[in-house]
Parts: sequence; structure tokens; C-alpha cells
Amino acid sequence: MSPKQIIHLTVNGDHHDIAVGPTETLNQVIRDGLRLTGTKRGCTSGSCGVCTVNDERGRAILSCITLAVECDGRSITTVEGVERDGKLHPLQQAFLELGAVQCGVCTPGLIMSAMGLLNTNPNPDQRAIDEALAGAICRCTGHIKVKMAVAHAIQQIAASAGTETHGQPG
Amino acid sequence: MHLPPFEYVRPDSLGHVLTLLGELRGQASVLAGGTDLLASMGQRLMKPKFLIGIRWLPELQGVQAMADGGLRIAAGTTLTDLEHDPLLAERFPTLKKAINAVASRHVRNMATLGGNLALPTRCWYTNQTEGWRDARSGCFKTDTQACHVLATSDHCVATSSADSVPALIAHGASVTLASVRGERTVPLAEFYREDGANPTVLAPDELILAIHVPACTDRTAFLKVTPREGIDFGLGTIAVAVTGSNRRVARARIIVNALGSHPMPLREAETIIREQGLNEASIEAAAAVARSDLGEITNLWTPAGYKRRLVRVLLKRALEDVRKQKWGHASFLQVGEEMRHVP
Repeated sequence: MSPKQIIHLTVNGDHHDIAVGPTETLNQVIRDGLRLTGTKRGCTSGSCGVCTVNDERGRAILSCITLAVECDGRSITTVEGVERDGKLHPLQQAFLELGAVQCGVCTPGLIMSAMGLLNTNPNPDQRAIDEALAGAICRCTGHIKVKMAVAHAIQQIAASAGTETHGQPG
Repeated sequence: MHLPPFEYVRPDSLGHVLTLLGELRGQASVLAGGTDLLASMGQRLMKPKFLIGIRWLPELQGVQAMADGGLRIAAGTTLTDLEHDPLLAERFPTLKKAINAVASRHVRNMATLGGNLALPTRCWYTNQTEGWRDARSGCFKTDTQACHVLATSDHCVATSSADSVPALIAHGASVTLASVRGERTVPLAEFYREDGANPTVLAPDELILAIHVPACTDRTAFLKVTPREGIDFGLGTIAVAVTGSNRRVARARIIVNALGSHPMPLREAETIIREQGLNEASIEAAAAVARSDLGEITNLWTPAGYKRRLVRVLLKRALEDVRKQKWGHASFLQVGEEMRHVP
């Protein structure tokens, strides 16, 4: 076995120097090392999406199939880093208000998948929402409410920014 | 699933990658996006002793416009970066559509084009956990001369399912492979072999460097049929590129994938379209021969009968799509009227 190496990883704005072995995944570092257990561990093969986090470009990536050693120097946002100053993000608020949760295991992954969409496309249509969430599906049958919550949050964000989304008054 | 033990190597240059691949011949895998490799390693389908990380190398990133209107796509470019590239949207909309069809946004944010070209074939016996596979003996892909999907087969029949591949072949793309022995460029159509266990001509010491897509003046189409719209592997994919007008077709390329162990050209259908042009009758005739164009196919994932019916539907839809498109000298120019070919 090759020795551990130190990686410099920023998680939710906090810098960490962490010793990792070659076979450790980003998911293991986040959950077992940093004890940020909002990010879940599911299929560990890139199909279920519950391990989704955002990378430095704001894109949704799968922490279970990302090697920790490859995250040296990178900056990651997990679901714990989405709220600001103790206030929930409009996405989180919309999930609450619309009851877009059943068992809740997929929720952090869905929030981070939707964040990945908002970070890269601030004014997405329903097609773009469906596509962004297709890699992280609620298997409890609650996926429709999730889609509604994301669409609702986008409207809320647009309304507070004083702009309009796709023809709908904000 | 924890990953099996391996050593991680971070090379400092492209030359270093090639040296490592040469020295560690057969014991090392290149790690790009990792979306398939790490999942397969979790299932103990692959147990490389070394992983060579290439995401750090700027030489393997980016899309370059060539003077002739074509593209050079560095193999480590992520599929999302490709989708967002204005050159692709402008000049190669069919390629963009095929890349968008791969897996999910999450996977495309990580996965690379080179990785999609080298995507291993899949079957319902081998692509399982080690415990599942242990219930029977090995197979052509692991360590035994046997196939549990098709007992009478003398080779691996696992399915080739990369979505970008048929579209790239239809565009006449080629791929540059590099090793310490030098570089070679092969047409993508010749990159694949009719053997699920060893599906490409990539040597153990070679790296996929770049994909070249020539300028496209053809009318093109891509279709993928899946159980669900998102994240599924295709039950069948097709890409079509037609040179010329509906009346006079100079060349037709029709490539299907996910129906066998390698991407397949439908040669007889291509000939019919080239000789008869694009019209209702010729499309009907091409669709009628498509089923026999497939050659021998298996009941893997879906029954062979379903595949033969599916290819007919795919071919008709793709050719109808192309037939309705306007034809001009360059597909990325707005051409108001179909141009008449003057002999």
C-alpha cells in the first residue's frame, strides 16, 4: 500500500489539510473525515446521486466516484454550505414549503443537483430542471414535488431579483 | 463498495504519462473522469495496480477550431465542457445532442470524451458485484473461456453503448493515440473491434490524445432509445450523416450502437440511400434491410427480435429527420432553400 498523502481541500469555504490514502473517495473524506454527514453515501457507482456536491465551478459532481487525492487544491461545497448567515437558501425553503421530502435520503443530493443547475444556468426552463435532476431521482415516488420545489425556488429567486423567468411574472 | 488497493500516480507532463504507461504496461489504468473506471473497480471488474491521474494536464483539455472548419477535441475535455462549447452548438449540433445523451448531468460534469470512446462493453452477467460473479465461473472478460450470456459463443458479446461514438463515426471522426513508441491516428470506425472483451485497438501502453472531427456540410441526425429519459444506457442508438440533396445523395453514413458488441455501420441501407436518394420509398427500403444489416445479434439486455424491430424504427426516424432538414454547402450557415445539385 502506498503511504497517505496530504491534500489541501476547501470545503464550504474552510481550508483543510487532510491525510488521505489512494483508495479514499471524496465522499469518505467529507463524511468520515470531516463529519459532514449531510452528503450521503448510496450506490457508490454514480447512479443514484445522493452523494452530489458542487465543485469550484459550481457544477454538480458525484463525491463517491471522485478520488480524494484528485481533490488536492480543489474547492467543494456540500449541502451544509448552502445556507447563508443562518438563513436557508430559497431552494431549501422551497423544499420545506412544498413538502418535497419523503424519506429524505435523496434530499441533500437533490439540493446540490439543483444548486449545480442554478450555478451554471440562472434562468432554467422545466426541461433544464428535469435534466439537472435526472441523475439524482427521489426513489420514494416524491420526484414530482421535488421538480415543483425547484421551479418554485427559481421563481422566488427571480422575483426577489426583480426579473422574470420564461414569461412567467415573478 | 470500497475500492481495491492501488497506487495513485500524479504525472507532471504528458510525456511522463506515456513513460509510465510504457513502464507499467498492462498494470496501470488512466484515470480521467473516473465515472466508469471507479465504479467498475468497486465491482472488482478491474483491478489495476496503478492509476495514472490525467485531469491535471492542460494538454488534454479543450476544443480547438481547425483551419478547415473541423475540430480537435483534446481527450480529457469533459462532456459538459463540450456541450457548452459554442463551436459544437454552431457547427455540430448532432454531436452535441449525442454527448447530451450520455448518462446524467452529474456524470457529464466529470466524464471525458476520451473516456466515452474507451467505455468498456457491458453485460448483465459480468457488470455485477464480485459475489454475484462468483456464483458462476468466470467468462471471456475475467479469466475463463466462457460466456454466460450466450453459452454457445466463442467470444465476448457484451454490449458497446457509448453514445458519442455513432455520432462521431457518422461525422468521419478519427482518433489520435500516443505512446512512447510514437503517435498514430486511426479512423474511429477502425478503433473498435468485434470482441466485447477487448473492444478497441488501444494498446496497453497507449493513451487517447485527441479526437478530430472534420468540417461537416452533411445533414445529420442522432437518436437514442432508453427505458427512461435520463441516465440509462441506450437500448439502441443511431447516427446518420447524408452528403448531398434528397435527390442526389453522394454519401450516406448510418451507424448504430448499443445493439451489439461494437458500433455497426448499416452498409446495405447506406447503399440504398446513396443509390436511390432520400424519399419515402428509399427510406422504407433501407428500413427493410436494416434488420439483416445487423448480422448476428444476441438476446443480451433485449431480445434479438426487439433489436431487429428497433433498428427499423430508429433508421426510419433518423432518415425522416434528415430528409426534412434543408441542405446547403455548410450546415452551420443558414440556407433558406434546398440547393439543387448541378452535375
